[in-house]
Amino acid sequence: MYKLLIVEDDDALREQLEIGLASSGFELCFAATGLEAIPAFEKHKPDLILLDLMLPGKNGIEICTEIRKTSGVPIIMLTARTDDSDMIRGLEAGADDYVTKPYKIEILVSRIKARLRPIKDVQQTIIKIGPVELDTLSHEVRKGDKKIALTPLEFKLLVTLASHPNEVFSREMLLEQVWEYTYKADTRLVNVHVQRLRSKIEDDQEDPKLVLTVRGWGYKAGPE
Amino acid sequence: MIFSRIAKAALDRFRSSLQIRALVYTVALSGSALIVLGGVLSVSIGNGLFNTRTEHAVMESNRAKFAVARLFQGVPGQNSWQLQQALDDVVSELESIGVSQTRQVAFIQSPNQANSLNLSSPRSAGLDLDLITKDFRKLVRSEPTVQSQTVQIMRGSESIPAILIGQRFTLPGGHRYELYLVYDMYNEQQTLAFVQRTLVLGGLVTLLIIGFFSFLVTSWLVRPVQDAAEASELIASGDLDRRLVVRGSDVAAVLARSFNHMADSLQDKIKALGQLSKMQQRFVSDVSHELRTPLTTMKLSADYLYGEKDGFPDPARRSVEILHGQMDRFDVLLADLLEISRYDAAGVKPEFEVHDINGLVGTSLAAIQQFADSKGVYLDADIPSGAVQCEVDARRIDRIINNLLTNAIEHSEGKPVNIRVAQNDRAIAISVTDHGIGMSENEARQAFNRFWRADPSRKRTTGGTGLGLAISIEDAQLHQGKLEVIAEPGFGACFRLTIPKRQDVTDYVSPLPLALDKA
Repeated sequence: MYKLLIVEDDDALREQLEIGLASSGFELCFAATGLEAIPAFEKHKPDLILLDLMLPGKNGIEICTEIRKTSGVPIIMLTARTDDSDMIRGLEAGADDYVTKPYKIEILVSRIKARLRPIKDVQQTIIKIGPVELDTLSHEVRKGDKKIALTPLEFKLLVTLASHPNEVFSREMLLEQVWEYTYKADTRLVNVHVQRLRSKIEDDQEDPKLVLTVRGWGYKAGPE
Repeated sequence: MIFSRIAKAALDRFRSSLQIRALVYTVALSGSALIVLGGVLSVSIGNGLFNTRTEHAVMESNRAKFAVARLFQGVPGQNSWQLQQALDDVVSELESIGVSQTRQVAFIQSPNQANSLNLSSPRSAGLDLDLITKDFRKLVRSEPTVQSQTVQIMRGSESIPAILIGQRFTLPGGHRYELYLVYDMYNEQQTLAFVQRTLVLGGLVTLLIIGFFSFLVTSWLVRPVQDAAEASELIASGDLDRRLVVRGSDVAAVLARSFNHMADSLQDKIKALGQLSKMQQRFVSDVSHELRTPLTTMKLSADYLYGEKDGFPDPARRSVEILHGQMDRFDVLLADLLEISRYDAAGVKPEFEVHDINGLVGTSLAAIQQFADSKGVYLDADIPSGAVQCEVDARRIDRIINNLLTNAIEHSEGKPVNIRVAQNDRAIAISVTDHGIGMSENEARQAFNRFWRADPSRKRTTGGTGLGLAISIEDAQLHQGKLEVIAEPGFGACFRLTIPKRQDVTDYVSPLPLALDKA
C-alpha cells in the first residue's frame, strides 16, 4: 500500500481529501503548515507527496527544493495559482507534475497513480547513451565511474528517449508516455524536466550532446 | 512635376508654420508700402526735375529772343546778304548762349506769308525737324507767349526725353518766323534713374531688414507657443513628466504656468486612475485565486455526494445533481475571470510555435462533435488540403476555435454550421458561420463585450460564462490578429479569425470573406 503525504493548510480541503481518497486505497498522512512538512516527510517516508504551493511558514517551492536535496520522491504540486511563473518555479524546484485547483478527485488519483506506476517492460536491462549507462532493474545511472542520482521521473524520461536512440519524441508524445497524460497538458512540463535532466547528465548544459532539441518537433536521445 | 511638388511643400510649410506665415505677411505688407512710397517719391522727383528744367528752358528761351532780336538790329527787311548773314548767325549765337550744354535750335519761316523770303531756314546740325509737329507750330503761331512740349529725341541709339520750346518772331520788314529750341533732358533722366535705382536698392535693403527683425520678433513671440505644442505632443505620447520652463511674468509665462498646472493635474489623474485600475485588477485576480481553495473543497464534496446520490431520497438526489452541475459552471466562470484579469494586468506571455491550423481545427471539430450531435447540428467543414502553417500559441487558438464552434452550435437552431479555413501569403483565416437566430448590427457590435448576452430576456440555458468572446478577442489580438463578426437577425452570424502567419507581419488581408451566405 502506497503512502501519501498531503501538505495542505486548508482544514476543510484536507478533510475532504481524506474522505475522497479513502476509497482509493492509499495510506494518508498530513502536514498542515510549511514548517511541519519536512519533519512529516522524514517521519513517514511517504511514496509520494501532494504539495500545496501557498503555505504558511514555508512555501511549497522551498519545501520542494529541500526535499530534492536528499530524495527523488515523486512530488505533485497542488496550485491555486495558474500563473505560469509559479508553476514553472515549482517544476524547476523539482516537482514532477502539477494539478491546478479546483481539481476532480479522479484527476488527482490518476496523476498519483501515473507517478507511482513502475516503468513498463523495457526490453534491455542496460541502456547506453553516450558515456551514460542506465540499469533498468536497479534504476542505477552511471556516467563513467560516477553514479548519477535521477528522480524516478527523470529516469523514466531518459529511458523513454534512450531506448529509441535518434528517434524524435514530440513534447505531446513525452507527456503521454512519461507523464501518462491522456488529455492535453502543458508542454512546458517537458521543457523544464529536460533542462533538469541535462543539468545532471550533460558535460555542458548549454551544448547538450545526449538529449538533443529538435527545433519545431521535440527531443531525441543523441548518437551513441 | 518637380515644381508643383516644391510649391506644394512650400504651401504646406506656409500653412503649418505660424512663424513663416507671420513673416510672409509682414514682408508682403511692408513691401507693398515701400513700392507705393517709392513710386510716389520717384514720380514727384521726376516731376520736380522736369518742371525745373522746363522753367529754366522757358527763361533761356526768352533771353534767346532778345539775342535774336539784337542780331537783326539794323538789318534791312528785304532779301539781302545781310539778312542771310543774320539768319545764319542765329543758330551759332543761340547754341552758345546760357549754361545748358546741349541745346538745338531751329529758326523757321512761317508759311503762307504774302512776301516770303527766299532764304534758307537755319537749324542746328542733327536736329530732326519732324520733332516739331504741325499742330505745335500752329499753336506757336497763334499764341504770343512761349510754348513748350515734351518730345523724345534720339541720341545715338538711345531715345531720351527733351523739351521743345517754341515762340513766334517777327523779323524787320514784318517777316514771321518761328524760333524753336530743343533742350534734351539727358542729365535729368540720368539723375532720375539714379534716384530710382537708389530707391529700389534702399527698398530691398529695408525689406530685408524688416524681414530679419520680424523673424526675430516672431520667433521670440512664437517660441513659447512652440514649446507648449512640443510639450503637449510629448505628454500625449506618454512622457507625463514633461513641463515648460516659466520665465518672467508676461503672457508667455502665464501660458507656461497654466500648461504646467494642467499637466500636473493630468498626471495626477492618470496616476490615480492607473493605481485604481491596477488595484482592481489585482483584486479580481486575488479574489479568483482565493476562491480556488474553497471551490476545490466544495467541488470535491459535491463530487463525492454525486457519487453517492443513488442512496439519497429523491429531492436530495436532485439537489445533489444541481449542486454538482453548478459547481462545474462556477469553475469555468472562475477560470475565465482569472484569464481576463490576466489580460487586464498585461500578464499574458504567449508561446508562439509553428502549427498546422488544419490540425488544430480538426482536433477541435472532433472534440465538439458529440455536443453538435446532441443539438442535431451538422458541422460542414471546408478545409484546404495540405498544411496551413502559422505561428501561433496553440492553446489560445484552440480556445478561440472551440469558443466560436460552441457559440455557433448553440445559436444555430439545428441548422448546419460552416467552418472554413484558408490562407494567403501573409495570413490564415478561420471562419465559423451559423444560420440561426443571428444578431442585429448593434448586438454584433457588443458581442465581444464582457458578460454581454445577445438577448437579456433569453434564458441562460447554455453553459457560457459571458466571457468567452471577450477572451477570444484578446487571444486574437495577442497574435496581432483580428476577430470580427457580421450578423443579421434571422440569417445567423459569421465570425472570422484572421492571424498573420508570422508575428512580425503587420500588413495583411484576410484570405476569407466576412459574409453571411444567405442562400
